[in-house]
Amino acid sequence: MRVVEHGVEDIVLRAENLCKSYVKGVLVNDHISLSLSRGEIFGLLGPNGAGKTTLVSQIIGLAKPDSGSITIDGVDIVASPGYARQACSLQAQTQVPINGLTAKQAIELVGSVRGGDSRSVRERARDLLKHFEMEEWANKSAETFSGGMRRLVAFCMAAVVPGRIVILDEPTNDIDPLRRRLLWQQVRNLVTMGSTVLLVTHNVMEAERAVDRLAIMDQGKVVGVGTPGSLKENGGENMRFELILEPRAELPKIPEFLQHAVVTGRRLISRLKESDIAPTIQWARSLKEKGIAEEYSVGPITLEDVYLKLVGHGVAQETMEKEADHDEVAS
Amino acid sequence: MTRLLRSYGLMLKWQALRDKTILPLYLVAELMIAVGFIIGIGFFYPEITPNTAKYLTTGAPTIILLMVGLVLVPQIVATSRTEGTFDYIWSLPVPRMVYVAADATMWILVSLPGVILSLILGSAYYHFGLQINLLVIPAIFLIAMTGIFLGYSIAHGAPKPQMAQLVTQITIFAIMFFSPIIYPTEQLPDWLAAVHRVLPIKYMADLSRGTLTDLNVNLGLAFGVVGGWCLLGLAVTSVLIRRRR
Repeated sequence: MRVVEHGVEDIVLRAENLCKSYVKGVLVNDHISLSLSRGEIFGLLGPNGAGKTTLVSQIIGLAKPDSGSITIDGVDIVASPGYARQACSLQAQTQVPINGLTAKQAIELVGSVRGGDSRSVRERARDLLKHFEMEEWANKSAETFSGGMRRLVAFCMAAVVPGRIVILDEPTNDIDPLRRRLLWQQVRNLVTMGSTVLLVTHNVMEAERAVDRLAIMDQGKVVGVGTPGSLKENGGENMRFELILEPRAELPKIPEFLQHAVVTGRRLISRLKESDIAPTIQWARSLKEKGIAEEYSVGPITLEDVYLKLVGHGVAQETMEKEADHDEVAS
Repeated sequence: MTRLLRSYGLMLKWQALRDKTILPLYLVAELMIAVGFIIGIGFFYPEITPNTAKYLTTGAPTIILLMVGLVLVPQIVATSRTEGTFDYIWSLPVPRMVYVAADATMWILVSLPGVILSLILGSAYYHFGLQINLLVIPAIFLIAMTGIFLGYSIAHGAPKPQMAQLVTQITIFAIMFFSPIIYPTEQLPDWLAAVHRVLPIKYMADLSRGTLTDLNVNLGLAFGVVGGWCLLGLAVTSVLIRRRR
């Protein structure tokens, strides 16, 4: 696992104070500063509309920042977008234009466009299709592919001759669980081959397992950067407690060692420090014995908890209110 | 240079593969336009003089090339813009004008059979021999490229892709009925004739007339004006596709 601070020579991509608006006065990217180190998988997480794809568009030269700078290998790519397109290979969120082509043709064409020699491109395309167990689709026209198949072909197109930076924008959307695993293996393989990966996603659980470092974005701003571990340790309350009340039971006063407690219908979720595990279990057990609690659990905090804390206030509150209303109606 | 040519070849292959299933349909459509234009519009005339036959026949290539450049190209580009295709293509390490050159090449190749068939059909139907000047080759390419670059300019310049489709419909309507392609400029009212002294449409028709028949045409002027419009379309296309959001 990498640390947050890196030597300057390790930095392959750096964005500083990046601002972008499409409508005057509404910043889609609001003073974003980030750096990607050579050979890491860097996650960019955030809800829909957080500004992730806008950031990618500026890196790849589809959009121009209002202010701020982006450099790749120290080269100003706002002034030289051609350098970025040479350095980066992209699996875009939009569908790739492959109708009429077979999977093999599409992958090999991009490999050649990216400067690969025909023999190694052919071999790499064959290996990728084999890895994803897509050999039977290799020579079929893309019109017949499902959404997931198209995404896999798009991934292979980004990976066949990978750039120094490989940008994957929601790579696992529509992909079945088995091939998702195979895809994550290939993402790790890209790093072994010498690439740096920028992974854009809103799938927090997958990102937690896949990334070395990540930035969480919300409403155009970066609201957290670090390793999954360092983000989870933030504040010291790195455990989570969940308790389900018996139907119609009254919740007693919540002890002070349970922080950020949220009650939704019959469910209580809160955070706690590791040192408070014993009193928490004791409290929960006593509630169970009194017939107030139905069940409880204590476990390490997940990245999803951190993510929701950083970006999910409004959404979580709304969900809770809806759930509470639903529970009231149901009871 | 080798790298550019290699990219051009690869992008041409990509475009050809993408469109291979629909290409036969385009050819059929072009042929129908040619038949409709040469024979159908002939019915408007109570009597077809040799000159009318030559105007109709040599007008057909311009109409077909403008149909492709100003209707098909903008509509397909507009659809690609809506689907976000360009976001992917522009992310590849290929200069954008190389992609446009490959796309334009494919459209020219798609147009050529229709152009040739229309000329054969017209001269056979109206019983006159074409007087082919070798300048017809650059002339046809120039008309085609001008149409395509102007089409690209409309398609990429329209704020919304749907607007491009509307603009192309209006443009082709104006070209079909209010342009001196199948009749001499003298038949137009003065103000419209003046407009056509600036627009490239009359000169495009002059290019095919002057290189395929004995009709009296100022070919130098036609090459100059259409060439100017071609360069303008190329310049506007180049600026528009380099734009970043």
